[in-house]
Amino acid sequence: MSETGEGGGKPRILNVGVDLGTSRSSISASNGEKHVIESYVGWPADMVARKVLKKDVLIGAEALENRIMLDLHRPLERGLIKEGSEKDAAAVRELLKHLISLVGLGDKRDGSQVRAVVGVPAEALRVNKQQLRNAMKGFVDSLMIVSEPFAVAYGLEALLHALVIDIGAGTTDFCVMNGRYPTEEDQRTLTTAGDHVDQQLSQLISARYPDANFSAHMVRGWKEKYSFVGDPPEPVKVTAPVRGKPTEFDVTEEMRAACESLLPPVIETMLDLISRVEPEYQARVRNNVILSGGSGLIDGLGAALQEALGEVGGGQVRVVKDPVYVGSDGGLALANDAPASDWEKLAA
Amino acid sequence: MGNLHRIKKRMVRDAIAENILTLRNRRPDRRRDRGRRVALTVARVGFLLGLPAALFGSSYLLSNVADGWVARADLASASRLVRGLAASRLASREERPLDPSLTFAAPKPIDSSVLPLALHKVVLDPGHGGPNRGTAAPQGVPEKELTLDIAVRLRRLLERDGFQVVMTREDDQALSLKERAEIANEARGDIFLSIHVNWISNRRVRGVETYYLGPTDDPYLTELAAQENRDSGYSLADFRDLLERVYADVRQEESRELAEAVQRGLHDSLRKINRGVENRGVKTAPFGVLTRTEMPAILAEVSCLSNDLEASLLVRPSYRQFLAEALFRGVQSYAQGLTRNQTIGS
Repeated sequence: MSETGEGGGKPRILNVGVDLGTSRSSISASNGEKHVIESYVGWPADMVARKVLKKDVLIGAEALENRIMLDLHRPLERGLIKEGSEKDAAAVRELLKHLISLVGLGDKRDGSQVRAVVGVPAEALRVNKQQLRNAMKGFVDSLMIVSEPFAVAYGLEALLHALVIDIGAGTTDFCVMNGRYPTEEDQRTLTTAGDHVDQQLSQLISARYPDANFSAHMVRGWKEKYSFVGDPPEPVKVTAPVRGKPTEFDVTEEMRAACESLLPPVIETMLDLISRVEPEYQARVRNNVILSGGSGLIDGLGAALQEALGEVGGGQVRVVKDPVYVGSDGGLALANDAPASDWEKLAA
Repeated sequence: MGNLHRIKKRMVRDAIAENILTLRNRRPDRRRDRGRRVALTVARVGFLLGLPAALFGSSYLLSNVADGWVARADLASASRLVRGLAASRLASREERPLDPSLTFAAPKPIDSSVLPLALHKVVLDPGHGGPNRGTAAPQGVPEKELTLDIAVRLRRLLERDGFQVVMTREDDQALSLKERAEIANEARGDIFLSIHVNWISNRRVRGVETYYLGPTDDPYLTELAAQENRDSGYSLADFRDLLERVYADVRQEESRELAEAVQRGLHDSLRKINRGVENRGVKTAPFGVLTRTEMPAILAEVSCLSNDLEASLLVRPSYRQFLAEALFRGVQSYAQGLTRNQTIGS
């Protein structure tokens, strides 16, 4: 582990950045470890399942693979801990515990101190942050919570005259970077994001092929593989059972319509945020739009946003090609840059 | 490089400061200073005015009700300016029309949570005031008097129970909707309750209904919101922001819960002494007074002045006291719900 102050009786310090996502969560640590997991937690549904699985709790891909034997939870909804269920709160804790253990720190931490920066949706309420803080208790020693698009911008060092659009599963987060810590007015959160595309796609396919039998997980898989806006790279054909018989369906138009349903709110919010930038800097911001997040990888999405910028004087949209760790890396960069004396004020 | 280093240092410092405020359960003042906001508002309007006329068309932010509301506030021209670029872009793809069922869902609010919250400070907003008399029965007291009287009674009940109470007005004062929201925000209230008395064209109807902020396609609610939105105090420059708040209000879940608690309190209490009072439910509507408040905010129509029976009941102090007690029970129930959530989350 890395880490400052090794030896001499001083505790070892591990800085981590965490991107707690509705669909996937990632962690980047100062010891060089990086991990991403599916944000699923499952408990064996009964004694038989427990015997088969030989585990009390399953997390991530393992939970998904064994979902039929599990009481499965996706505890983060729109980037926040779900409302009203103790089980979901427990699931978030399991998720965080697992993430921290992946970077080399389990329950026994040998006196190491963990300082974490966690990204949350841009418009997360103060109370949501407090709730997250409670969930992190016991796993980290100090905690800083920042808006997810800010963490992305910080990691990419896009701190001046930039607009970050981070499209995840649960939320689409916007943040204008003006060379200072973003205010409420610089940020937005929409809940039209990847999950919304899944819902639309599922509805459209059901409407066209009422006999097709498919699950939400299958739809999500199809979206991740074939999503596009504009012209399709190739026809989208998927296979789903009809009365038990595997059948191929052409879902090109459904995929297009579902993915393009993201465009109106995203474009309108993007243009509105740019309009709020001081006039002399608007062109610079337009030319420095950064599209991040898993759903930011939808084929043609960056080009569609850039086309929309053309209506107001033109601009450039850059797509973050490897968005998996960009949020957690940004969190880690923040954690590394925060002075030790300030971390003490942020005890978890 | 040195500049970037300075910027990063300042950002880290500010991020830490904000987190410390959250730890202390204080709300960070994350808005820009007023002067800068004014300058940017001017810039924004300029930007919007510069959008080409080609932007006419549908937008995910606009709906019939929003148009109706805006038209009432003489802002109809603004709606044409901001109609969405994106939707028109899609609409232009005539060769592949979208399924009409594929409506672009308005952004949903971020969920409220199992929150370690407590309710301390209640902002009461007696509707109308000054020259804005609200509605009135032909022979009766105007709405502005009734709402103030009920609010004062409710304040007493709340204070007796340990709540802090802030009133947006304590006398026959004219306040714009914007000013009411500003009072609530400056007071850092935990919840905002605007009290109104209804007028329904079908005068046989009597009942209670509670609103929180959101869109509606109900013509009755559109008309009601338009009536209540008179004297809004909002300007053209506020238009975009207002619409956005109607459709993407992050407080919506909390407001809905508060509205449900108050509506339940009202109806459960009133039906004991006012048989046949209708539970007209919890609804969303674009009331201007709810757009700028930064806490869960609702508007309760506690009675119908258009109904002869209720109009006669409303002039009785005992009935107004009963209404105040019913509202009090609703607020209390909401507060207890928060405490329960705290226990679950702890």
